[in-house]
Amino acid sequence: MASTPLIPLHRPGDSPVHRMPVPAKFAVLLALALALSLRREDPWIVAAAWALAVVGHLASGAPTVALLRRLWGLRWLVLLLTVPQLIFLTGAETALNVARVTGLILLAGLLTLTTSTEAVLDAVERALHPLRRLGVDPERVSLALSLTIRSVPTILGFHAEIRQAQRARGARGGPWTTIMPLLVMTLRHAERTAEALTARGVR
Amino acid sequence: MPSTAPQTPTTPAASGAPAPQALRPGTARDDGGVSRSVRGIARMAVFAALVAVLGQPFAVPVIAGVPITLQTLGVMLAGAVLGPWRGAGAMVLLHLLVAAGLPLLSQGSGGLAVYAGPTAGYALGWIPGALVVGAIVQAGWPLRLWRTAAGTVLGGVAVIHACGIPVMAWQLGLSLPQAAVSSAAFVPGDLAKAVAAVLLTHTLARAYPTPFEHARRRRG
Repeated sequence: MASTPLIPLHRPGDSPVHRMPVPAKFAVLLALALALSLRREDPWIVAAAWALAVVGHLASGAPTVALLRRLWGLRWLVLLLTVPQLIFLTGAETALNVARVTGLILLAGLLTLTTSTEAVLDAVERALHPLRRLGVDPERVSLALSLTIRSVPTILGFHAEIRQAQRARGARGGPWTTIMPLLVMTLRHAERTAEALTARGVR
Repeated sequence: MPSTAPQTPTTPAASGAPAPQALRPGTARDDGGVSRSVRGIARMAVFAALVAVLGQPFAVPVIAGVPITLQTLGVMLAGAVLGPWRGAGAMVLLHLLVAAGLPLLSQGSGGLAVYAGPTAGYALGWIPGALVVGAIVQAGWPLRLWRTAAGTVLGGVAVIHACGIPVMAWQLGLSLPQAAVSSAAFVPGDLAKAVAAVLLTHTLARAYPTPFEHARRRRG
């Protein structure tokens, strides 16, 4: 029943793009995003973002088909971006605007493609360390993140259980009648999880 | 592995201390020796997961050919049930995992590309949205219907659209009024979700008031 959720959008590999440290990848992405938004009329920055995205995808070891599929996946967004702008702007301006947004999306997708979820979460935990003084506990944040990841399959299981019970009663389980029991089961699961954590010495 | 979370129903019998019977909100420990902080973390984590589940394709009802995501209903419920801080905290957790590359947003989208797209403002608006919902809905105990309605509409609809419209305008090259008009198409659906959130919140508050700690601490 449970469709396959939680398959990370990451593709394992050992390319130079994969091996680049996570903070460096974020820095490059942020710098480009900033440059793109500050110098909106500069076609060279847009070209640089696209070049980096395409070269990065090819260097990541992913097949060229995968890149083409990603581009094809952007078709609705391109349509959505293009149509309203063509009414007010010239063709060239519209093309530049669309290229800027899609280039940044491709580049962000490249970072996700080449970085494991654990590596990003590790980087987040390390980045949170300076916030200790403000009362943020990085270990608690990590604990909460891993609990969330583990709760998704559990809650999907609750959902399947509820639907099965409804079907057994011959009830047509619409989304509205499913959410109330799902909410209660989810909150009960939180209580059990908190008790189990306490039993393991988490205070 | 359908359920990896430990399911041990623990009682503090081993420590020799009798388990406190009465639930006393306002004390650092409610019952079973579970600290408020641990309970809060568990609730934020499961609620973040619940919002992720509400976005998965099978949980998305299709009305007149248009898929309606229930994720914003989850956002309203997070604020209304967990209160402002934990509700917003649950949304931060969800966003950290999405940014880390897990496909937890509607229809399995995720990764950093979400934040470069035109709907980034709506998604990020869930954080202040849940905060505002929680602050208004849980301003006092028992919950009041008018307050719950005002909170879910203000936080769950107005705040999220207010965050989403400028980003969409910027990304799509629209002016703010133009973006607001195209955003307005989603308002009827969002209001329907707000009605559902109000009914669910009040049913839950009567049947299972334990999670409404924030409100119950205000007026015992």
